[in-house]
Amino acid sequence: MTSLRLHPVAWVSWLLAILIGVTTTRNPLYLGLILLWLAAVMVTARLVLGQHFTRPPLSPWRWGSVMILSTALFNALNVHVGTHSLLHLPAWLPLFGGPITLEALLYGALNGLVLLALLLAFGVVNGVLPVWALVGLIPRAYYPVAVVVAIAVTFAPVTVRRLQQIQEAQAIRGHQVRGLRCWLPLLLPLLTGGLEHAFQLAEAMMARGFASQAAVVYTLPTQVMVLLGLVGVLGGLLVQMLTVRTLLSMGLLVGGSAVLIAALWGAGRSQPHTRYRPAPWRGRDWLVLCGALLVIVCFLLPVPGVDRVSLFYYPYPTLTLPAFAIPLGLATWGLLMPVLALLLDGLPKPPAPRPNERPTEMVEARR
Amino acid sequence: MIPRSGVRLLYPVLLYSLTNLIGVLAFLYPFWWPATLQTTDSAMAHATDAPLLTTLLVLLCLGVLLLEVQSQMVNTKTVALLGVLVAINATLRYAETIIPGPGGFSPIFLLIVLTGYVYGSRFGFLMGVLTLLVSALITGGVGPWLPYQMFTAGWVGISAPLCRPLIRWLRRLGGDEARVTLWVLAGFGGLWGLLYGAIMNLWFWPFAVGAVEQSWQPGIQLVETLRRYVLFYLVTSLLWDFLCLVGNMTLILIAGAPVLRVLQRFQQRFEFHYDAVAAPGAMTSETPAILVSGDA
Amino acid sequence: MITFDQVTYCYPTDTATPTIPVLHKLNLHFHAGEFTLLVGPSGAGKSTLLRLLNGLVPHFSGGTLTGKLRVNGLDPVLATPRVMSRHVGFVFQDPEAQFVMERVEEEIAFALENAATPAQAMRLRVEETLDLLDLAALRQRPIATLSGGERQRVAIAAALALRPTILVLDEPTSQLDPQSAEEVLQALVRLNQDHGLTVVLAEHRLERVLPFVDRVVYLPGKGGAPISGTPRDVLAAIDLGPPLVQLAKALGWHPLPLTVKEGLSFNRQIVASLADHPVPPAVVTQGKPPLLQARNLEVAYGAQRILHGVNLALAPGEIVALLGRNGAGKSTLLKSLVSLVRVARGAVTIHGRTTQGLSVAEICRQVAYLPQDPNALLFADTVREELLITLRNHGLHPALGVVETLLTQLGLADKAECYPRDLSVGERQRVALAAILVTKPAVILLDEPTRGLDYLAKVQLMALLKMWRMEGKAMLLVSHDVELVAALADRVLLMSQGEIIADGPPADLLRASPLFAAQIARLFPHTSWLTVEDVLANVGRGKEEAV
Repeated sequence: MTSLRLHPVAWVSWLLAILIGVTTTRNPLYLGLILLWLAAVMVTARLVLGQHFTRPPLSPWRWGSVMILSTALFNALNVHVGTHSLLHLPAWLPLFGGPITLEALLYGALNGLVLLALLLAFGVVNGVLPVWALVGLIPRAYYPVAVVVAIAVTFAPVTVRRLQQIQEAQAIRGHQVRGLRCWLPLLLPLLTGGLEHAFQLAEAMMARGFASQAAVVYTLPTQVMVLLGLVGVLGGLLVQMLTVRTLLSMGLLVGGSAVLIAALWGAGRSQPHTRYRPAPWRGRDWLVLCGALLVIVCFLLPVPGVDRVSLFYYPYPTLTLPAFAIPLGLATWGLLMPVLALLLDGLPKPPAPRPNERPTEMVEARR
Repeated sequence: MIPRSGVRLLYPVLLYSLTNLIGVLAFLYPFWWPATLQTTDSAMAHATDAPLLTTLLVLLCLGVLLLEVQSQMVNTKTVALLGVLVAINATLRYAETIIPGPGGFSPIFLLIVLTGYVYGSRFGFLMGVLTLLVSALITGGVGPWLPYQMFTAGWVGISAPLCRPLIRWLRRLGGDEARVTLWVLAGFGGLWGLLYGAIMNLWFWPFAVGAVEQSWQPGIQLVETLRRYVLFYLVTSLLWDFLCLVGNMTLILIAGAPVLRVLQRFQQRFEFHYDAVAAPGAMTSETPAILVSGDA
Repeated sequence: MITFDQVTYCYPTDTATPTIPVLHKLNLHFHAGEFTLLVGPSGAGKSTLLRLLNGLVPHFSGGTLTGKLRVNGLDPVLATPRVMSRHVGFVFQDPEAQFVMERVEEEIAFALENAATPAQAMRLRVEETLDLLDLAALRQRPIATLSGGERQRVAIAAALALRPTILVLDEPTSQLDPQSAEEVLQALVRLNQDHGLTVVLAEHRLERVLPFVDRVVYLPGKGGAPISGTPRDVLAAIDLGPPLVQLAKALGWHPLPLTVKEGLSFNRQIVASLADHPVPPAVVTQGKPPLLQARNLEVAYGAQRILHGVNLALAPGEIVALLGRNGAGKSTLLKSLVSLVRVARGAVTIHGRTTQGLSVAEICRQVAYLPQDPNALLFADTVREELLITLRNHGLHPALGVVETLLTQLGLADKAECYPRDLSVGERQRVALAAILVTKPAVILLDEPTRGLDYLAKVQLMALLKMWRMEGKAMLLVSHDVELVAALADRVLLMSQGEIIADGPPADLLRASPLFAAQIARLFPHTSWLTVEDVLANVGRGKEEAV
């Protein structure tokens, strides 16, 4: 197992930048650019990490193309606005009646592109961060939850093996798999065995000093902050819903969220647990973080000199050529930083042949 | 001054109601959000980041709820029990290769509903949230829809104890306990199977169909949006979700009673807390891990 | 250092009637740096006593405790297990159910994280602990890929991370094969002798640790008074003991030999008398037509060959033992005989008819297979229900009295309405046996049936196997327990790397092999004696002939 090339938080900031980038715009030029950089990062990550890059369960390209097609079709069938009409369905059909327009097709495809970008971005992050790094991302305030997740992740391959053993054990009693009823002889021993295992595990944890103290009571300031934050967020939503004052509602939302995050951070400080081997934060992580911040700032906030109008692209009522602002285009290069950071160490040498490990599990746990 | 105990009770109530309200509003944003946007270009630009905004909001609400729920459950036995049950449930989610099921129905709701019913809403909440999280982690399938999934699954668990008063009432009307319990739980599980699919659909919908329209008239807009959503739902996922409903109900009817028995059998051992009353001046250790009746 | 003063403990009950105390007015004292061995029948209270040392009883399991208990000056009841974890490290029996984290290093660090140790000190401590148990090469491995012995060593390391001065182990080798058990016990001996760690160990396999133990404490159970003293004194006073000790007591050897080396100085007389009266070679009985026969079995997993060229035949009224190192393919062989594993080549015939094309359920009506973990079989609410479920699965009607006779035969008649998971390990195994034998199969395959059983349960199992042998069933037994095989088997098969390398009577095969030789065989290397009874019978005959 190689140690991580980039800090998990750097990857998360990159992910956030992509999320914000693709959801704030429907301009095909910007979307295309972002997708290009995404693909570059994915290819680099696969190259650099080799076998340590965990492949996603579904091929993002295949699913992406399916999605683009289906979203394009859906939109075209539902929305009948636009000047370039391709087909004309009879008007008596409930929702689908009316002209199928190119604009609607394009807009649907753009939405599909956004989904594809989201899938790819998450695919990259899933691939470069092994499970233990993802578990390590859980904030300190949630230490008991993190322990539960760690136990579950450790116990999952054992469960798979046990399920197989139970399947064999029931087969030798004549049990045959025939529909939903066969769940019972497989589920019950698994459940009972698991509960007994949990009991022994609790004993072992207690013997090793796991904090079995009284309920953690959060201090009054934390509680007040949490309630205030929630009221702020709710207020923002309600203001937006009832009276349309966007600035006020946005302000309330952002303010309330900030107070909540501060409260969570404060709760985290009160946890007395230390962490073994925290990942180091290096210069390359700063590189990635700055690139991500660049994108976020340019796309979200009104920066002087950056014309954000071009972000908005609306093909209705008629197809127009999308605008392109060079500063924004250049800002998207911030998403390319992980490529630089990954390549800083150079490409890896092929791994030395390892002695055979016993294949004890049916499903190989992710490293 | 407000009495200490009153404050202590008020805080969870306020917290749960606020977060759930925010969650509901966030889920339903496609219905009311577009109507609130004015027809200026820059405002329209913001329409497209609504999905991200609401996902982040849901994540935040989830975080706040998790913090509150876990603060009551630092007990070692609960942690171990949760860990093991979450592992079992997360593995079962993708166990179609071993166990058949209709369509892509996933059997996770069985355990979430039943553990929520037996061990309380906090336990059920954590079961729901963490099952989805762990199954995403171990299969490398963390995606942008995960907060929605976790929140909804948490709701399934947190609302499971609501079956208890219903079961009590039905029993008083003259029903056999075992059958009444089973049917109520099966109906509950089936209903949530359907709702879960509908809510997940809500996440995908704005991508499939553009949420923005040209002319704005708030009242009509809501009806129109609703109509579109219903039709979209009918076409895309009704069949799937209906299969989920049927699958969940059948599973609970078949496996519910034995699983309930197992859970109740182990309840005693897990709920025990040691009280060193016999020795004077002794420290009392853990508070009761899981409250059975009437916990929030 | 550890003092028990009139300690009495009762488990919690729901009913108001008081139960018999598990420990009654116990008085014991352990000194620092001692290696103490705790022995006694199952249910005698060994586990309870061990868990009292770090406060797990009563904090984890409840009950009422009276009396005075001091460990390192602390009262474990008042100082919760959290505080006691710094003084007492605990290792449990099951190598699978003790770990929270996935990797070795993280598991060792878990206790340190809980204690809020600063990061730098944590790194140092983890390195030291890895070196203490020789685990540095395994540090990044997932625990699930380690062998049983390595896992228990990780458990010991995790218990020692907080540098406690006392290490308590509750039957750590009962689930392990002999090699892994050896590893673990050697590590314990090294910890005790080189680092001065106080070790309290409850164990059934006495022969490996006896030479290194300072004290033995025997708990007779049911609240009886313990017998405590040096190994020789205590072993002389109790019934339990390895075969060498039992032989020595029967022949009146003094002082009691604890190792084969010590025993060699006593056996000269008997060996000398043997030179005059040579022992007749073991007689191999001719077999009847085999019930189960496998010819040229080959099983492959992908490109890897697990079994090849396996030939085997089981005749009625015969117990065959299958021995071999871990990973030799013994379990796979058993599974391939019932078609749980796909056979790439070769044929299996039962009563002369091939099993190809038959489903597992059909084969299992004639061949019963007891898996390594019988818990995987049990899920009903009562014992009787388990048997009925098997019958229902096969589509058979429960004939009058079949279920009842089987339950009585297996000694479960009074437990027919109990919840199977509440029973002891030995009883659960018998319930599993009942569940698979209800279809009256002619062949029984058992995969490591003695794992986790105590002495009494093992004796009961042996009686059952002998009874079935008399009924004419054929049995194939995979086991690591050489003493059991020596006492029971008619034939022994040795397996290595997927092939059967030897097939013969136990007297021949269990004599010379260093891995599988019984203790008695090592003591009398030029004879065919494997058990205490063999020696006593021949010595008695020798004496008669001499007179």
